[in-house]
Amino acid sequence: MEHSKQTQYSSNEKKDTGDGGSVLNGHFDGMVKRPAGGTARAAAAPQAPGAESGSHRAATSVMESWKEERTRSVEDNEMSLPSLAAAYTTILRGLGEDPQRQGLLKTPWRAATAMQFFTKGYQEKIIDVLNDAIFDEDHDEMVIVKDIDMFSMCEHHLVPIFGRVHIGYLPNKRVLGLSKLARIVEIYSRRLQVQERLTKQIAVAITEALQPTGVGVVIEATHMCMVMRGVQKMNSKTVTSTMLGVFREDPKTRDEFLTLIRS
Amino acid sequence: MVILTPLSQQFTTGFVPLYPAASFTDSRTRMEYHHTSEMNGVVADYHSMCNEPERNGLCREEKHSEDAADSNNLCHIEKAYSTILSELGEDVDREGLLRTPLRAAKAMQFLTKGYKETTQDILNDAIFDENHEEMVIVKDIDLFSLCEHHLVPFYGKAHIAYLPNKKVVGLSKLARIVEIYSRRLQVQERLTKQIASAISEALEPAGVAVVIEAAHLCMVMRGVQKMNASTVTSVMLGRFHDDPEVRKEFLALTMKK
Repeated sequence: MEHSKQTQYSSNEKKDTGDGGSVLNGHFDGMVKRPAGGTARAAAAPQAPGAESGSHRAATSVMESWKEERTRSVEDNEMSLPSLAAAYTTILRGLGEDPQRQGLLKTPWRAATAMQFFTKGYQEKIIDVLNDAIFDEDHDEMVIVKDIDMFSMCEHHLVPIFGRVHIGYLPNKRVLGLSKLARIVEIYSRRLQVQERLTKQIAVAITEALQPTGVGVVIEATHMCMVMRGVQKMNSKTVTSTMLGVFREDPKTRDEFLTLIRS
Repeated sequence: MVILTPLSQQFTTGFVPLYPAASFTDSRTRMEYHHTSEMNGVVADYHSMCNEPERNGLCREEKHSEDAADSNNLCHIEKAYSTILSELGEDVDREGLLRTPLRAAKAMQFLTKGYKETTQDILNDAIFDENHEEMVIVKDIDLFSLCEHHLVPFYGKAHIAYLPNKKVVGLSKLARIVEIYSRRLQVQERLTKQIASAISEALEPAGVAVVIEAAHLCMVMRGVQKMNASTVTSVMLGRFHDDPEVRKEFLALTMKK
């Protein structure tokens, strides 16, 4: 994908007011909040969170999204565990349960560890996952990996989202190890997410890594926040898609992609 | 054996609980039947004992204090979620997360609303005398609950059957019983048994059967990560337990795809 396309894409991002850096989970702007941290976070400290600086950042951070620093490390996880467990104990009490009964004794710790697992995408970098598996290959036909199971957490209600991701790209002399597409999905989905943003992040990461001629990402997911509570619509599915490059410009390519993922 | 930090330590880790422990006693006593499902019947009586004096005009004060306790709890849960968000490494001030602690707290309260409901409340009116003794089945009742070990949802379907003994119950009440017991922190085995016991005590039928098949997200999203595994639990009481033919009829009618 040409550089010009990327800048065009990023300038669209700038118009996204109100969101600021949130297109990238906002953590580029906000990761300063944590008291403990390494140089990575200290380096990010001068940025103030907020719409204007955020949208300024959006341009460059879209370009560098997959080179970003981690917001969390394994040591951070261990250090946060006691406060997470204490928070979960409060929640159990607030709900009227008895945290001392046998079934709930270790629940705060289990729930805290589970939640850290569900947000482990914050610990991982695309660059670690991709570095070795980009190969030069003279192939310019569509490559599709479909039905990738995806699990995420709704950032509004902290309730799971699950579904399937279908990814297609048109290589431009460089192909990617197939499982790496699934790993990119994992990194971005194991976070507090909004489905629209997740779709875009996956597409942008592939674009930046491979510079392909085009990328298409379709996600169909069920949101437990809509199924278990609120409107309680059991069978509803949300479908979002991002088409970049030739997938956006050429309807025939897009049709081919959509037909192949449906079959 | 207790892993949790005791209350005294919670003050020193910077997490300050603002509530007096006593405010939870009421909810806790209401809760006790939950983990000893054999006590189901006893607690239904206890509840009716509690509810009677309220109807004599004290109910308004009682309700007012209940609402106050509820919003107090909501506040604590909300603060806990704020802590969780920041400990996970997220930025609590970004736009998407600004009201998330409140939404998550309300969502969690909704998902555990079964604690406040009793079978007596919903069933009292809808039991009818009917000269019917053949099997009544309500199947494919969608069910959503929370795993009490990981606080992660599990969801599936419940199939309920009973053999009336001169008393039938409004059909939606079976689904409401499922709702009461499933909207709690649960273990699938206990949930199945509680539903069966509740129907058994309310109707005194000749037999009750409950089958639940559910997918546990704690197994799908984490841990072993087995996507397609589903857990099936069943409870057979009365003639469903004693008579294999009756059981076979029930299973044939509910379990075929």
